[in-house]
Amino acid sequence: MSFHGVGLSLGSADPLDPDHLARLDALVRRFEPALVSEHLSWSSVDSRHANDLLPLPFTAEALEHVVARIGRVQETLGRAILVENVSTYFAFEESTIPEWDFVAEVARRSGCGLLVDINNIWVNAANHGFDARRYVEAIDPASVGEMHLAGFESTGDLLIDTHGTRIAEAVWPLYRTAVARFGPRPTVVEWDVDIPSLDVLLEEAGKAEAILA
Amino acid sequence: MTHLAEAQRRFLAQVLAGEPSSERLAVYRRNVFANHHDALAAVYPVVCRLVGDAFFREASERFAQAHPSRSGDLHRFGAELAPFLEAYPPARELTYLPDVARLEWEVARAFHAADAKRLDVRALSALSEDERGRVRFRLQPAARLVASAHPILAIWEANQPERDGTPERNAGSDRVLVRREGFTVRAHALSPLEWRFLESIARGEPLGKIVGDPAIGMQFESQLLQWTGNGVIDSFSLSPPR
Repeated sequence: MSFHGVGLSLGSADPLDPDHLARLDALVRRFEPALVSEHLSWSSVDSRHANDLLPLPFTAEALEHVVARIGRVQETLGRAILVENVSTYFAFEESTIPEWDFVAEVARRSGCGLLVDINNIWVNAANHGFDARRYVEAIDPASVGEMHLAGFESTGDLLIDTHGTRIAEAVWPLYRTAVARFGPRPTVVEWDVDIPSLDVLLEEAGKAEAILA
Repeated sequence: MTHLAEAQRRFLAQVLAGEPSSERLAVYRRNVFANHHDALAAVYPVVCRLVGDAFFREASERFAQAHPSRSGDLHRFGAELAPFLEAYPPARELTYLPDVARLEWEVARAFHAADAKRLDVRALSALSEDERGRVRFRLQPAARLVASAHPILAIWEANQPERDGTPERNAGSDRVLVRREGFTVRAHALSPLEWRFLESIARGEPLGKIVGDPAIGMQFESQLLQWTGNGVIDSFSLSPPR
């Protein structure tokens, strides 16, 4: 079993929600999943929740903050968690650290593992204009505990991570590069909108499996 | 911290503003709104069917502005839809709608409530007579009581996915018990007597008081057997001696 959270708001300046964390802790103790993961994003301001994976400014302050928060979560749960890079459509002007260095540094300083979403790297590379391979090369293979693949859709100006279509042809070579660098890691094909027939899903999973083998 | 807090405050304010300043922020606005709309539509499918998608979409946007989400757990979003609808002018003529929303919220809460315990009959029968009078029963965590001056149960049943939306009754009041069996939430009509009995239990009244309620009277024992036997009453504690 792998628990994948969206609600902890790891990157918020708001205090961590002690009730949410306590309920996660109770769930983890009850089911003892093999993996527990959350997103490298934020959701609430002044206790108002957007219930979405919002982008962080990549600054030294945000880095320090999110590392401390991951530390508190790991301390409460008594185990390391995996933290996932998210798709973003907006970049803060105040960012001073490239996203790949920020992500790698979060793992190095907090001791958390990484859930590397290959599609999200591809989407961000297109939306913000960087080299996706450089991102993969910045990640310490030892920190990677899981990977995600998914489909995106284009608005013309932006790629949107929709989880509603096949994995783009262009993303497979990046996944291949990641597997070559990180080694085989448990990989989830995320498809939770406009869910296709099981055959199509199995085909996508089969492509990933062939690369992992 | 102040910089991060300020950046996040500014970002969310721009996203939630009527006209985001860029297409990039508009993507987030659409996502945030869709997440909240979809969460409401999942909890309130009958309300949504009664008013139609366009009405529900507009109402859910107004609702999210008036009662923003306060938790990272989306299952907690939408508790105040019933009072919101009571004061929402476009729904003024749909007098039954807030109570239908109340019932749907309790159905959703029942789905996520903890499993029932198994009543400890041996411990119960070992009590002295004095202790029996002080027993406070508990309803199973999924048990919810909803009453309305409108036929909300008939409306709710008629608007389940396999039904055509025509209620079997379109008048009369309803007293409803919501409970969960496994993963299935059911809603049952209660008689005035059953309602009074379960309501007294839910309020935490000790058995000594309920047994003396003239409205329950001779039916006390059969009521007790019915609700302990079917698991709606799942545990008990003792109130302090007088």
